[in-house]
Amino acid sequence: MAGKTFMDPHDVPTIPGTEGWEKLYPYQYQFSKDDPERAAFESSQIWYYDGLHYPEPHFPFDLIWDEAWSLALSQYNTRHFIIPPAMGIDHRIVNGYVYITPVGIADPEVIGKRIPLFMERAGYYYQNWDRLYENWKKKVTALIAELEAVNFTDLPEIEDISVITEGKGVGSGYTLLKKYDDVINMGLLNWQYHFEFLNLGYAAYVTFINTCNQIFPGVPISTLTKMVAGIDVVMYRPDAELIRLAKLALDTGLDELVLKPLKSGDLMNELARVPAGKEWLAELEKSRYPWFHISTGTGWYHHHISWNDNLDIPFDAIRMRINSIKEGKEVERPTEKIIKERDRIVDEYRKLIKTDDDREAFDQVLGVARTVFPYVEDHLFYIEHWFHSIFWGKIRQVGQMLQNAGFIENANEDIWFLKRDEIKQALWDYTTAWATGVKPRGPSYWPKEIAKRKGIYEKFKEWTPPPALGVPPDVVTEPFTIVLWGVTTDVLSEWLKGEGAEGDQNILKGSPGSSGKVEGRARVLKNVEELADLLEGEILVATTTSPSWAPAFVKIAGAITDVGGPMCHAAIVCREYGLPTVVGTGKGTRLIKTGDLIRIDGDSGIVEILERVNK
Amino acid sequence: MADKTERFTLWYEETDGKDFPLVGKKNANLGEMIKAGIRTSPGFSVTIAANEKFIIDTGIKEKLGKYLEGLGEATYETTKKASAYAISLIESAALPAEIEDDILANYRKLCEFSRTNNVPVAVRSSGAISMPGQMETYLNIRGDKDLIEYVKKCWASAYNVEAIMYRANKGVGFLFNIGVGIPKMVNSRVSGIIFTLNTLNGDPSKISLDVSYGLGEAVVSGLVTPDSFLVDKVTLDTVKTTIGSKETQCVYREGGSDIVQADVPKEQREKLCVSLDEVKELCRLGKVIEDYYGKHYDIEFGIDADLVFPESVIILQVRPESIWNKKEVTARTEKKKDPMERILSQLLTGVKLK
Repeated sequence: MAGKTFMDPHDVPTIPGTEGWEKLYPYQYQFSKDDPERAAFESSQIWYYDGLHYPEPHFPFDLIWDEAWSLALSQYNTRHFIIPPAMGIDHRIVNGYVYITPVGIADPEVIGKRIPLFMERAGYYYQNWDRLYENWKKKVTALIAELEAVNFTDLPEIEDISVITEGKGVGSGYTLLKKYDDVINMGLLNWQYHFEFLNLGYAAYVTFINTCNQIFPGVPISTLTKMVAGIDVVMYRPDAELIRLAKLALDTGLDELVLKPLKSGDLMNELARVPAGKEWLAELEKSRYPWFHISTGTGWYHHHISWNDNLDIPFDAIRMRINSIKEGKEVERPTEKIIKERDRIVDEYRKLIKTDDDREAFDQVLGVARTVFPYVEDHLFYIEHWFHSIFWGKIRQVGQMLQNAGFIENANEDIWFLKRDEIKQALWDYTTAWATGVKPRGPSYWPKEIAKRKGIYEKFKEWTPPPALGVPPDVVTEPFTIVLWGVTTDVLSEWLKGEGAEGDQNILKGSPGSSGKVEGRARVLKNVEELADLLEGEILVATTTSPSWAPAFVKIAGAITDVGGPMCHAAIVCREYGLPTVVGTGKGTRLIKTGDLIRIDGDSGIVEILERVNK
Repeated sequence: MADKTERFTLWYEETDGKDFPLVGKKNANLGEMIKAGIRTSPGFSVTIAANEKFIIDTGIKEKLGKYLEGLGEATYETTKKASAYAISLIESAALPAEIEDDILANYRKLCEFSRTNNVPVAVRSSGAISMPGQMETYLNIRGDKDLIEYVKKCWASAYNVEAIMYRANKGVGFLFNIGVGIPKMVNSRVSGIIFTLNTLNGDPSKISLDVSYGLGEAVVSGLVTPDSFLVDKVTLDTVKTTIGSKETQCVYREGGSDIVQADVPKEQREKLCVSLDEVKELCRLGKVIEDYYGKHYDIEFGIDADLVFPESVIILQVRPESIWNKKEVTARTEKKKDPMERILSQLLTGVKLK
């Protein structure tokens, strides 16, 4: 990509009407020229828009997970496992959108010194993977239980008598402030756990991909991912639970009742009136904890509510399943078939290898890729879905308190426009005023500030973040950058091409997510609530998908996402269902309209718009 | 149905290599290829038993026997006479009705299957012992009358002077019944070449495929730039596709077995000449052939316009690939102690962005 660069990050203009937007985020997240050395670093790096995690502009509170992973990923690369040539990933925000850059090490001497440390430390994890991973699950589920136990309620008019009789010597105000800190710290700890294995998992995966490419030049990534597919992972469990409940409804003759288009509350009342219905509801409860702690999005935004937050979502999915079963369709994930196919592919490839050395290399990298695969899949459920779903609920409780105290007008909407430290500040205001018996300042301060921030936020939405800023590098060594975001030569040059007018573009390029080719009508869905519009045989076009989208995959003929690499959710699920998929197109949802006739090629990563729908 | 050894005709798929005493070697080998999963042009054999019944029922066997007794010493001159006598007897005799009915019933099935009236077939001699090039093969035979005529000509060709002399040298007798093969002439809509590896770098996990319109001649002799495909051998997914210019094609001359060149219309040139299903089927057959013979193969094929997919995909010729099969293979990866060393080396190399 000789010579071609993106816009300098310092030159991005502020959107009119958003002046002062920097206040919404921590100061270190700004591109700035006040330190020449830091400014030079910023100008020399490639900064790519992290649309994979942030397809929308950032809410000040929700930035917590960005800060959390910025810390956790980087520390594991740099300070724990000492990835020899790769430090962390640095973060900035421009006009509400997060840009990230991998930080490399150029000095061979420094890299050399890091090698023995890496071999010892990472080696220990790879060798003890299963035991450490079992231990990990215990740590994470204990943390979730601890979070579940915290509840936020309004401060009492007077303290309970037990505070006196038991000589507790601690007040509710202090406890509230501490609880808030505790919940925030649990969130950050959760993200420490998140990266305990993931960097190593991705390093193994990259090695697998590239070693296979040496032996079989140009072997498609979609073929390689088939070699590790079919291992039973918990990410499929929520979907399996829906199928279980659908089948149970059919077996017990409850299907007609469940199919009634009722709201979940009404339906559950009706079910509770009949004995079979009661038993079914008991089974539903078993599924709900933990399997319905599934976010309707990626789990990264507060508005990605979970199935448990709105039972209408899983009930609709159960109805779809019942209908599919009645139509005689195969609803279950064809695990056996996938495993058989995986074994066939591995076996045939192995037989094609002509030297013992290559065969040994293949066996080594396949073995380690399979070792890491379950974690790479499963951590999403524990961290981003289960933990996050509960976490957002707890912060909503804090929002309710602040609304009750007049600090904010709408508990569900307003709290997210405060940075987490500002919430702490507001809670101080609230508790000290409560303790003192005076009126707090918050109610006259925050609503105005929040209104202003909402205005800025709306303006952010109108802006299209460029896919990258700065200067593309020659070599990327950071495992995440390669696997998760799918940043490759092709992808970067495609992004550079997209820098001009794109309205007439009829060909989009992304990463091959799942092999095969298909033509069909597009259905562009912005969020999982729109899933009901999806018709049989359509091609799903979405920013990104998550397990909540599961019901979609039994209906569609293929899928396209704006963001994601070969390991993203849509790619994994489509491989399991054998649907052609192109991921990381960057702009599919912008360029494609519902009803357009499109062709996707999951082998080359090309999407063609064949015929535009009449508008 | 009668015992296989007593039948007058046998479809290729009813026979295999062991059946050469019934239908001759060429026919039996075709049956064997089908058994291995290699799809060849559809057709059937007229059995050696049919030939035997023909010469008995028509009295030819008896007449020839008497004629030979009275001929005296076998010289080139006497052999020539005997040859002419045998050929005239065979060509002028009528086939026993049951044999003729059987052949024509099969021919009609072949016409039906090919969705073509009077489908052109080849009529090929097939002896139970190898006699390379001694007997006749006739191409582009159409219709009941011609077919029966040429079956007789084929039988008669076993009495060519060269064939009789060849047999005499091998100690085989004068009287000699042969099988006849009747495959459909391949009417290639497209044709091309399969290599069961990536011809550019020898990668055995790929299949290279070149295809263009018309008969194979255009691709084989390099008259056109064909469409080319690189396919993953294990999953049969297409990895790379290049549309060729395909300006010209070779087709059969109307009413003859000659071939002529014809222009390919512009819109035909700009699109791929085969469907993805056809590509998959070709590669599947390529794999079957490679597995059957145990090495990389170079395969000529045609896709028949008269037949329905997948029966339309037909293998015309196979031979071992000549370059990479002979090359010494060296490891493509570096030797490493364990996966850890491999991961380290990968991290140090990184992924280059050119």
